[in-house]
Amino acid sequence: MKKLVLVVIAAVLFAGFSANGQSKLVSSKSHIKFFSSTPAEDIEANNTTSVSTINPSTGEIVFSVPMQGFEFEKALMQKHFNGEDFLNTKEFPKAKLTGKILNIDKVNFSADGTYDAHVEGELTIKGVTKPVHEMGKITVKGGKVDANSKFNITLADYGINFVKGKPASNIAKTVEVTLQAEYAAE
Amino acid sequence: MKKKKIIRIGLIAVVAGIIIAGAVGFYMFNMPHRDVQSSKADFILNSSDIVAEYLGNKDAANQKYLAADGDSKILEVSGIVNKISEDFDGQKVVLLKSDGDKAGVIAAFTPETNANAEKLQVGELVTVKGVIRAGAAYDSDLELYENVILEKSDVVTK
Repeated sequence: MKKLVLVVIAAVLFAGFSANGQSKLVSSKSHIKFFSSTPAEDIEANNTTSVSTINPSTGEIVFSVPMQGFEFEKALMQKHFNGEDFLNTKEFPKAKLTGKILNIDKVNFSADGTYDAHVEGELTIKGVTKPVHEMGKITVKGGKVDANSKFNITLADYGINFVKGKPASNIAKTVEVTLQAEYAAE
Repeated sequence: MKKKKIIRIGLIAVVAGIIIAGAVGFYMFNMPHRDVQSSKADFILNSSDIVAEYLGNKDAANQKYLAADGDSKILEVSGIVNKISEDFDGQKVVLLKSDGDKAGVIAAFTPETNANAEKLQVGELVTVKGVIRAGAAYDSDLELYENVILEKSDVVTK
């Protein structure tokens, strides 16, 4: 009986320790780039205002992206981007990615290295949620964790349509999103 | 004779119209970004107040502070410096947050104003001016409180 109690105590302690070792990773240093290319022009916007978390035990990954944080070279483009016809950022101030790193068991957060991350989840832009399935990379180096990914978004999937005018001919139907975030334990 | 004169005036009008339209188009295309620092602040408040306002009613606060074209309200926010860091663009990022508050105000500086952020000390009471990009909220997916975000910031010296 005494032995059993000891085993239970040891198991509880062990579980507590391992949970501590796997505390949530938080990133408030990130960079999201949005790139559109058409024969008319290339358009780029950059955002360094996002917050992201990774739960190393479950593989859950979240990105919250303040949409008004996208900076364009040209002021008029930034106005179009924010406007009601495009991303309507006043009504939908944040975009969100919630997903799961499916192969989280292959990522060793305590050993330096670069690991492929297979992310499946949902992306919500302008109030429209769509499933996403993307590849990324997680780099662990000296206790620092970095996540990187590059994927394409089809604007029409999120109800972003241009029928006429300059934006219709100068903005690509599919834009490339590059994402980078640096994490630290919470 | 009269007919010729009308045609000539008409031509001049059309040419003038094209030039004006072209000039307006060129100006619009190259329109400069709003200079936040030389613009007047729309609201003057402290970090705890704006955080409380957002946590109380996020939607009403967004209606009040965010603009549809992205040129949202310019705020002058006073608060205690909690942390100074740097983003991926090399811009200094200053978190103003009072002890006991669930969230704070995070202000990103610019290459022109970075030097002023570097002079700040953690624990110091400062006033920062910038354009609001997003409000504070509890995010149940992140399981975190998100800060109010200001950009194009600088320290206000009075």
